[in-house]
Amino acid sequence: MDKKTRWMFWIAGIIIFAIFPKLAGIYYSNIVVSMSVWALFAVSLNMLLGFTGLLSFGHAMYFGTGAYGAALALTHVNGLSFFSAMAAGCLCSVVLSLIVAPVVVRVSGTAFAMIHLAFAQCMFVLALKFRNITGGEDGIGGFSVSHIRIPGLFSLDVTDPAVFFYLSIGTVILNLLVLWFVIQTPFGQVMAGTRDNVKRIEYLGFRVSHTKAVVYVLAAGSAGVAGAVSAMHQNLVAVNDAYGMMVSVLPIMIVMVGGARSFFGPIYGAVFFGFLEEYVTAYTDKFELILGLILIIFIMYWPLGLAGIFLKLKFKWLTRKQFLKRSGGGAG
Amino acid sequence: MNILETRNLEHEFNGYSVLKKVNLEIRKGETHAIIGPNGAGKTTLFNVISGMYTPSKGKVIFKKKDITGFKAYKIQRLGMGRSFQITATFDNLTAFQNIRMAVLSRKGIRFNLFRFVDKMNDVTTETINVLQNLDLWEACHTPAGMLSYGKQRSLEIGMALATDPDLVMLDEPAAGMSADETHTAVSLIKKLTKEKTVVIIEHDMDVVFSLADRITVLNHGTILATGIPKEIKANKDVQAAYLGRLEDE
Ligand SMILES: Nc1ncnc2c1ncn2[C@@H]1O[C@H](COP(=O)(O)OP(=O)(O)OP(=O)(O)O)[C@@H](O)[C@H]1O
Ligand SMILES: [Mg+2]
Repeated sequence: MDKKTRWMFWIAGIIIFAIFPKLAGIYYSNIVVSMSVWALFAVSLNMLLGFTGLLSFGHAMYFGTGAYGAALALTHVNGLSFFSAMAAGCLCSVVLSLIVAPVVVRVSGTAFAMIHLAFAQCMFVLALKFRNITGGEDGIGGFSVSHIRIPGLFSLDVTDPAVFFYLSIGTVILNLLVLWFVIQTPFGQVMAGTRDNVKRIEYLGFRVSHTKAVVYVLAAGSAGVAGAVSAMHQNLVAVNDAYGMMVSVLPIMIVMVGGARSFFGPIYGAVFFGFLEEYVTAYTDKFELILGLILIIFIMYWPLGLAGIFLKLKFKWLTRKQFLKRSGGGAG
Repeated sequence: MNILETRNLEHEFNGYSVLKKVNLEIRKGETHAIIGPNGAGKTTLFNVISGMYTPSKGKVIFKKKDITGFKAYKIQRLGMGRSFQITATFDNLTAFQNIRMAVLSRKGIRFNLFRFVDKMNDVTTETINVLQNLDLWEACHTPAGMLSYGKQRSLEIGMALATDPDLVMLDEPAAGMSADETHTAVSLIKKLTKEKTVVIIEHDMDVVFSLADRITVLNHGTILATGIPKEIKANKDVQAAYLGRLEDE
């Protein structure tokens, strides 16, 4: 892609983004918001899984903590805006990750996966137990997000679905950009090195535990942002949708289907799952069964996921184009 | 002057003693070969020196500093680099990215989350230089896991050298190579380690005698002899334990 087409691409994207809520309506805007929440959550998981080689069976602990953090902040502090609530959720997740980081960076492989299963389960039980704070199974809801104001200039009503669409998608894209950038830095290379060969990365003088810790906190914070946006979107946080087993498993599935080796893979995966949920649940209530089957098919036939399929198609298209160009030149 | 010393170094695995009172002295600037039959403890000696294991007893002195029990990353930063008997490269990363990792390390760029790595021109230039020296330039975009075995071994050696260590520890750099590849590898090592101190484990006696200034023979975890190649060739114990047996084969 040259510079001009890239610019066109960006401009087209921004225009679509701007007119989407008007064009597609509230219903589809809401679907896109929840897709983007899952996309960010899955990408944050993939920072650990695909880019550092750490599989977590309990990433819900950061999604849920972000959601509760935002919801509790909104419930107890008056006049909190979208961004402050989001920051509160993110901060809660970051703090939690800083607490457990010293333990989890010492392990990898199965131990890392299982320790997270245990942690997420602890959070689940704690959220149930401290019913007076979290509302237990019923959760907390009905909190109000105050308008975003710059006095004298403008005032944005966040309960307007279109406004919420712009804010949440903007937030998600910004967060994704940060993560994407991290992958492109020297540190991103060290992450990949840690994934491929811990021994070698250590013998090159990099400190594996520190590398893991930084990625871990980044992933937790981003999952927290996803959780906070989700909480404000639903205007409800209940323990099952925050710390439930499925909240940990689904992003793993999204990553596997989307493609763990690609930064954008989990985003494709989230969009795919979003559509799937939309259409499958219309016909059957056995959504989990369909998910399982799809996962099996991907693991067996397309281990590189949707991202791998797209790459293959792109490659085919490019070689075809080149071939046509060459044979065309020969004829002329 | 000695750049590396081990003092009565011992190591055991589950009560089974693999190194027994090893006193090794590596002089600054020399190429020192360590030979010995399979299972003699050569790789374990490297592992204990370079920080993979803490020795059961004894000391490791590097550049006059007691580094016993230091972690690998710390020892590397003090100027010790190593290669592995079993190739340890980043298989999903290209040859270029593999070497670049070593270059980043050499430049002390370890926690930079604020710049595009592809836009660090000095890093790129240096990486290209190293790749050309290693004769890996044509393969620079190939993932390390898909390189030919010979090229993987070159990359393995290159990773140890690209961090520009003062002391290089090479564990059977030519292991599994054909005669041709071995020849290339030896000249590569010669070319790239001119100013450096090298400790090399090697089975191939031609390689050993062509590279080494001094040789240490390890057998059953103890040092049998240390000396210049001529002395080692003439040593009766060594002949009995090792060289003789090789000639019998
Ligand atoms: N991690 C380990 N745990 C238990 N035993 C080990 C371990 N590593 C090595 N050993 C044992 O220690 C002994 C020495 O092994 P080492 O790999 O150091 O030999 P070596 O001289 O490098 O042999 P080779 O020439 O085959 O590479 C062997 O008997 C080996 O089985
Ligand atoms: Mg060995």
